[in-house]
Amino acid sequence: MAGFNTKVPVTFDKIQKSFGHVRVLEELNLLVEPGEFLVLLGASGSGKTTALRILSGLETASAGRVLIGERDVTEILPKYRDISMVFQSYALYPHKTVAENIGFPLKVRKVPAAEAESQIREVAAQVQLAELLHRYPRELSGGQRQRVALARAIIRRPSVFLMDEPLSNLDAKLRGHMRAELKHMQQALGITTIYVTHDQIEAMTLAHRVAILERGVLQQLATPAEIYNNPANLFVAQFIGSPPMNVVQGSLEGNRFTTAGASIESPVAGRSDKVILGFRPEDCSIVADGNGAIKGRIYTTELIGDHTLVTVETEQDKLTVKAPKDFAGKQGDATGIALSKDHLYIFDAASGQRLR
Amino acid sequence: MSTASEIDGRPGYVPAGSSQSESWGEWIDRHSRTYFIAPAVVLILLFAIFPTFYSIVFALSRVKFTPSGLTFRFVWFQNFVKQFTGTEQAHFLGKLTGMSAAGWVFGLAVAAVTLWWLIRSIRKTTWVGMIGRTISAAAAIGIALLLGATLLSLNPWGTMLTTLFYVVVGCIIQFIIGTGLAFLCSQPITGKSFFRVIFFIPLMITPLGVGYAFKMIFDITKGPFQPFWEFIGLRDWAWSADVWAARWFVVLGDSWQWIPFIFICMLAALENVPKDHVEAAQVDGASSIQIFREIIWPQIVPVAVTVILIRMIEAFKIVDLPNIMTGGGPGIATESMSLHSFYLWRANDYGQSAAVAYLLLILTVVVCASFFNYVVYNQFRKARA
Amino acid sequence: MSQASYRFDKAKRSLMERLFEAPGIGRMSPAAKIVAYALLLFWSAFVLFPIYWVIITSFKTAQAVNQGPFFIPFVDFQPTLDAWRTQFTADPYCDLYAVGRQLVLLFHNSIAFLLSPVVSIQPMEPQICKVYLAYTNSFVISFASTIVCMVVGSMAAYALARIQYRPRFGNILVFVLLALAAILATTFAGVHWFYTAAVALALFFLLARTIGKHFRGRLRNGDILFWIISQRILPPVVVVIPVYMMFQAIGLIDTHIALILVYAVANLPIVVWLMHDFFANLPIELEESAQLDGATRFGIFWEIVLPLTRPGLAATTLLTLILSWNEYLFAVFLSTAKAQTMPIMVAAKNAGEKGILWWEMCAIIVVMIIPVILMAILLQRFIAKGVLLGAIKG
Ligand SMILES: Nc1ncnc2c1ncn2[C@@H]1O[C@H](COP(=O)(O)OP(=O)(O)OP(=O)(O)O)[C@@H](O)[C@H]1O
Ligand SMILES: [Mg+2]
Repeated sequence: MAGFNTKVPVTFDKIQKSFGHVRVLEELNLLVEPGEFLVLLGASGSGKTTALRILSGLETASAGRVLIGERDVTEILPKYRDISMVFQSYALYPHKTVAENIGFPLKVRKVPAAEAESQIREVAAQVQLAELLHRYPRELSGGQRQRVALARAIIRRPSVFLMDEPLSNLDAKLRGHMRAELKHMQQALGITTIYVTHDQIEAMTLAHRVAILERGVLQQLATPAEIYNNPANLFVAQFIGSPPMNVVQGSLEGNRFTTAGASIESPVAGRSDKVILGFRPEDCSIVADGNGAIKGRIYTTELIGDHTLVTVETEQDKLTVKAPKDFAGKQGDATGIALSKDHLYIFDAASGQRLR
Repeated sequence: MSTASEIDGRPGYVPAGSSQSESWGEWIDRHSRTYFIAPAVVLILLFAIFPTFYSIVFALSRVKFTPSGLTFRFVWFQNFVKQFTGTEQAHFLGKLTGMSAAGWVFGLAVAAVTLWWLIRSIRKTTWVGMIGRTISAAAAIGIALLLGATLLSLNPWGTMLTTLFYVVVGCIIQFIIGTGLAFLCSQPITGKSFFRVIFFIPLMITPLGVGYAFKMIFDITKGPFQPFWEFIGLRDWAWSADVWAARWFVVLGDSWQWIPFIFICMLAALENVPKDHVEAAQVDGASSIQIFREIIWPQIVPVAVTVILIRMIEAFKIVDLPNIMTGGGPGIATESMSLHSFYLWRANDYGQSAAVAYLLLILTVVVCASFFNYVVYNQFRKARA
Repeated sequence: MSQASYRFDKAKRSLMERLFEAPGIGRMSPAAKIVAYALLLFWSAFVLFPIYWVIITSFKTAQAVNQGPFFIPFVDFQPTLDAWRTQFTADPYCDLYAVGRQLVLLFHNSIAFLLSPVVSIQPMEPQICKVYLAYTNSFVISFASTIVCMVVGSMAAYALARIQYRPRFGNILVFVLLALAAILATTFAGVHWFYTAAVALALFFLLARTIGKHFRGRLRNGDILFWIISQRILPPVVVVIPVYMMFQAIGLIDTHIALILVYAVANLPIVVWLMHDFFANLPIELEESAQLDGATRFGIFWEIVLPLTRPGLAATTLLTLILSWNEYLFAVFLSTAKAQTMPIMVAAKNAGEKGILWWEMCAIIVVMIIPVILMAILLQRFIAKGVLLGAIKG
């Protein structure tokens, strides 16, 4: 058994996976640092779960290798990989009590009852379940079930933790709470963790690094701040951020980006007929008609709370701008949008790659 | 990739745990794929597949007893031919002399419709499907002509039609009554579970016991209905001497036993229909008959056809009831094919016994497979779409 | 307005409306209620009357049966225990001691049979009256065959639900051809079955290992499942003579083992079919989670899967028990004296020169019905839940 505090790296080496003719993963290369909290982020159907299942051994890769630590585990049965996994549905055994659920991994390893008992108590206390040990899963709330699943995963002190959307069945408030708990626990245990989610807030708050997956291709692997500030391509740029980044189609000539009715100074120089300009709603502002780089009419306004989202209709697009909460513009008013040059991104329209 | 070698050099790391030498338990676990399924496969091969092939040898031979055991003489398909043409024809197919005009009309009409269906389906299916349809069509035409030559020409039936009678008529009656009872029991009435237990009981009684009980109850002179028979002036009537009465009594006994099966399956299906569908219809003011026809029935059809299929498969094997209630009589009027084979075995004619058993197998497979392909499968396709 | 409003005023409804309109959602109109109860009660009577008649007949004397119908005990006729006494207490060895001794005997004799290639142990001779013997046999055979069937069947069903099998079609063909060759050699060439079987098996493994590798076509789990379930179509009369010959060849005619095995195989398709669906409908994460935790396949099956399918197991067990408890055709062929079961006892009451001994037969039928009804009431909860549906939903 790997020791409790042994931090272990995980490597996906040219992993491919197809189900019949459907290619789900195309040459996935990924190195997870020892003790890292890595979040796999992607839209539904992008292959996140498949990647996780290949690592756990529940699915076999069509090609490529998986390494846990320095061992090639591609051909090794799941139970010898020393990983534990928290499923989205928690996979608690309905006919076993909380204590029996938590203790199951010890039971199959034939740990003596007395020792198992004390470990169960210890772990249960860690996740604040000590009072509930004799209940059945159906008698627990969603958050409590989630903690049972966590406890069952950590009682074995595995080398690697896998979590497949563990919070998606909880309500928003509880999710925020559990997120903090998870982050704390991962920090404390220092176990390499791979966490799958399609929720960008979870990804940004939890991760040391985020890996963004789309159609089985790794789009970017970087820290949350880097992903936000320096998206590698249009997909990542639009995927991260809420509301999503505004995009405007146009052409680039020298230092100027030109689109219908506007010409904007670009952060990069080049020559291309088809490029896309991107800017985040929070990086621009509403200004009086006639000012600003882009002009249009107010399409609608939505008061969110601490700010107002203003949708502006231009000749070809609808753009979103984050405005102060006391914004007073009316639907139909002519208006302008001011951009900040440092926060503009230019992408190649054909490939989606960022031009730098 | 270079990542792998980067890791290899990393010091102080103990690989993920596993014992290196395989223990006994692990060896067993590794072979669990085999030992989970092997016993079932071996048992079926030994006691179902192997005997089925062995049975072919019996069916193709004349079997004689000698002091040293059985001796087989290979006679090709003589045992089968005998059932269709020679001495045994009347027993298996029925008396085929003098087919009436009605018989011809019926037989040829069914043949025409079937052929039309077959020709029309040429474009729609693959050649495998076409072979299957041809077999089904041939069986349908054969059965129709046989019905024309016996039933419609007032000739006695053979065991094949009797078996089909038990299957078709029995299934229809049992399905209608069983479903009706299930529908009643799914209504908001008190004492549901009481009726459920009561209605379930006949299924648990040995078919033999059912046979004798019905024989006793329908005894004209000593049975409980004696006053009734006397009242309607049937004191000296013997239903066991009347071809149709005897057949219907066998069906009655069979239905008494098997309606519970349809009942519990259909009840389960009915209770599985989502409550909100029914409630929505109730709010719209539909009567319970309308609700059944419009909402519930479409949802339980797949279950219904499956239940009928299961019942059909079991009904083809009917042997205990006619054996006990009528002994196959009067004459051979109530003799099913299983019973026919059983009597041949008792007469030590193993070859013919096996041949009749094989014919039963073929008939069962053709009828059940046709029913599955054209009814059950379609329903499931519809349900999924 | 007034036109519509009277319909909501219950007191003002006409008699017809009161009769034929339901008083509320989820309730029935009085007329429908009357019809429903009439039908249900009629059917209950139809179901119960034959059973009632069997029970009272078992308390009648020969005269009471033969002199025409008597309906109500103590009113119509004086019930006696004659039929019960003559069968259950009159014969020698009609007591619980005999039953106990018979159970010991079964255990002893099966050990003796198992060890017969090594040491020869004298088998015990039965000392028990016929009905008690048959009753014990019925219990032992139906329970043992149900256990065998449930264990073998649910393991296979689980495997087919969760493990991918891809057997080569060609190997199956080879197997069939070799089996046919073995049968022909035994029947027509007179070779001893033992040698043909050994040679055929050896050849099969040899061929499967060598040319078997080159066959392309493979079967899938669905095909195997269909193959197993379709065995239920097989009419017993097709297989019973060969099965008789097989058991005769290895000296197992009129033994419990023969009936246990045959019943187990006959019911195997039902068990596989019903249980497969229960297993396939379990959420697979439970098993995957246990797999990651290091449980063995059998451990998962035993600890996780079986407890979760308990209702299905109960219903299937009950069905298998009933089927093997009531089976007659195989029992007639395969047992002559020592392994006879209750259905044969029932049929035996028909054989006398005095016609059918109805009163005695009815007593036997009653003792046959009692245990199954008890069991059904015990397991009724599971059946009522509609567990059988699992398989039917397909
Ligand atoms: N067993 C399978 N057979 C066939 N296709 C599969 C199978 N499992 C997954 N797929 C396909 O692979 C693709 C990726 O699936 P995967 O479950 O990895 O997505 P995901 O990123 O986890 O999505 P989600 O966020 O919805 O869970 C999907 O298009 C899915 O349809
Ligand atoms: Mg997923």
